[in-house]
Amino acid sequence: MNRVLAVLAAVTVIVSGCTGQQPEGRADLGPIRLLASGSPDELAAFRTLIDAYKKAKPGTDVQLVEASNADDLTTKLSTSIAGGAPPDVFLMNYRLYGQFASKNAVDAVDSRLKASTVIKASDFYPQAMTAFRWGGKQLCMPQNVSSLQVYYNRALFNKFGVALPKDGWTWNEFLVTAQAMTRDANGHPVRAGEAEGGAPAKAAVHGVGTEPTLIRVAPFVWSNGGRLTDNDQKPTRFTFDDKASLEALRNFVDLRLSYGVTPTDDEVKAQDLVSRFAKGQLAMLLESRRITPTLRAAKDLDWDVVSVPRYGNPVGILHSDAYCITTGSKHKDAAWSFIEYAMTQDGQKIIAATGRTVPSHIETSKSEAYLDPAKAPKNAKVWLDAVPNLRSVPTISTWPEIEDAMEGILENAINHAPSLDSVLADIDKQTKPMFERGIAP
Amino acid sequence: MLRGRFGGPARTLGSFFVVLVFVPPLLLLVSGSFHTPGRPPTLTPDLIPRPATTIGYELAFEWGGLLRATVNSLIVAVIAVPLSVLVASAAGFAVSQLSRRARIVVIGASVAALMVPATALLVPRFAMFRWLGLTNTFVPLIAPALIGMSPLYVLAFYLAFRAIPRDLYDACLIEDLSPARIWWRVAMPQVKPVTSAIAALAFVTTWSNFLDPLVFIYDRDLFTLPLALRSLAALDPTDFPIFLAGAVFATLPAVLVYSIAQRRFLR
Repeated sequence: MNRVLAVLAAVTVIVSGCTGQQPEGRADLGPIRLLASGSPDELAAFRTLIDAYKKAKPGTDVQLVEASNADDLTTKLSTSIAGGAPPDVFLMNYRLYGQFASKNAVDAVDSRLKASTVIKASDFYPQAMTAFRWGGKQLCMPQNVSSLQVYYNRALFNKFGVALPKDGWTWNEFLVTAQAMTRDANGHPVRAGEAEGGAPAKAAVHGVGTEPTLIRVAPFVWSNGGRLTDNDQKPTRFTFDDKASLEALRNFVDLRLSYGVTPTDDEVKAQDLVSRFAKGQLAMLLESRRITPTLRAAKDLDWDVVSVPRYGNPVGILHSDAYCITTGSKHKDAAWSFIEYAMTQDGQKIIAATGRTVPSHIETSKSEAYLDPAKAPKNAKVWLDAVPNLRSVPTISTWPEIEDAMEGILENAINHAPSLDSVLADIDKQTKPMFERGIAP
Repeated sequence: MLRGRFGGPARTLGSFFVVLVFVPPLLLLVSGSFHTPGRPPTLTPDLIPRPATTIGYELAFEWGGLLRATVNSLIVAVIAVPLSVLVASAAGFAVSQLSRRARIVVIGASVAALMVPATALLVPRFAMFRWLGLTNTFVPLIAPALIGMSPLYVLAFYLAFRAIPRDLYDACLIEDLSPARIWWRVAMPQVKPVTSAIAALAFVTTWSNFLDPLVFIYDRDLFTLPLALRSLAALDPTDFPIFLAGAVFATLPAVLVYSIAQRRFLR
């Protein structure tokens, strides 16, 4: 039996030696596997990208491994890495990649980027590049540089005679607008606490919709001069007990609790925020670039985008995904060759055509591939104007768990109105152990 | 238990509640699949879509690759379900013939195996199939059938075989029948309702298996139905009829199998 195993092992080594190593002097053409997630149209764009790459570099072979969402992608990636057969390249958000970077599962690209004659670091927005630096090394190449902005239904604003929001507006202006746009079925403004005939009026149109998540609150905390955590690089706890952070958190929660300008949890469960916005039941929606194609497809919807409101300094939150090479890849040169192509103008234009992303390639983001005047939103430039002021959340290995825990806490805070003291205590109780377990870049 | 004076009304009432719980969601599922994609869902679901359209089905097949995924799921089910029933019944029969002490050990091991979460075995299974060069094939999806798919199925067969009078087995031994012939010729015909139930359960488990294809299958052409359906779930909320059309298509075979199997449960 031992002999059989020894022979099998020897055969495996020989076979892997034949297929895994690239002979000296010959270009590594793959095959490589690219693991990416997204909706059918995004995955179709990746297939187009792969076809364009194969055409540009004959002889190369790239297989797209599809996942439907980030959770499925994480499951697939972690199992394949642990099982010893990772994909060569994967596409992942900076908020999720720390769990893999901390285990040395991602190969740094510094030397390849430096040696590249096709792309250079200065071609891309530094805010997105920085988010993918780990331990002083550039681990991944950012494909996009989106951020949170405010979508608004222009037709609804005109119908109710409310002034359209303008870039650079303040939180107070945002709140007053949200209140003015919260209307009952007869089109009359609905004020929280005011009752008609003994029963509070029910809003048929809500002023604003937002998810109760950390990444929705964060830009307001920063803009108010607050901090999210005690240390951006090596955080040990959230700092919502800091005065400015607490004020931003309280105001965010009060959108529902005190002003009633956002739909309740039950209302959102009955009909999600994007559907409400598309149906004219929501005047404004806090979202990233992701929902743009959905709104483009909605017939008779007159909409545009405006910057996220600010307290003091304008600050936004980075949303970015990047191509990463796995340490276990047997075709790292081929993997880099594909990434190089995907990061060029040609590659970035293919993905930008979906409308879901803001290209991280500076020239591409300023081209018609992104700023197409024939396509909504008219104010697409708002995402580019926001880039200089974008900040990112920490990327420690346990950050995905921390965000999940915060979602539960914020959902409870917004829908069940516990005291803010208990919310703060809950945040510390649930997330501190996760911060302690986290490995920092 | 409910036979006699109250058997009829109690059974009718029970059936009514079961129908009340399961039929409305199915109706909404079917009705939703005939709505027009690209429009936001209404706040209160309308049972009769106006206009009713089959575009959702057309796009579900086109975008989700449902036809190919259905063929793949059928290939897996056609091999895995009979294999599971055969292995689980043979194992259950073997357990029923063991000595008391050995039986306790085997049943204890089966119960312990039931408690192991499937996700805990995912990485070792992946490493094993990778080593064998069998990832991105249907083999990892069918392989659980080689151990009867679940210890629960083995235990169910064991209990069924144990209920057969011992004298019958003794008579077979006197007739000099081999254990395999006793299992196939004598015991299996006695436990047809259990066989039908296990076959139905094994089919639904195989048909709805999402985690294994997610981890083991890379190639879109090898996607099974749950993976194809999952890709439709990633569509925009306004495209909900496409997802629901896919869900109707994926649900139909399971409903059909249960309908056929339940006739045998009652015999």
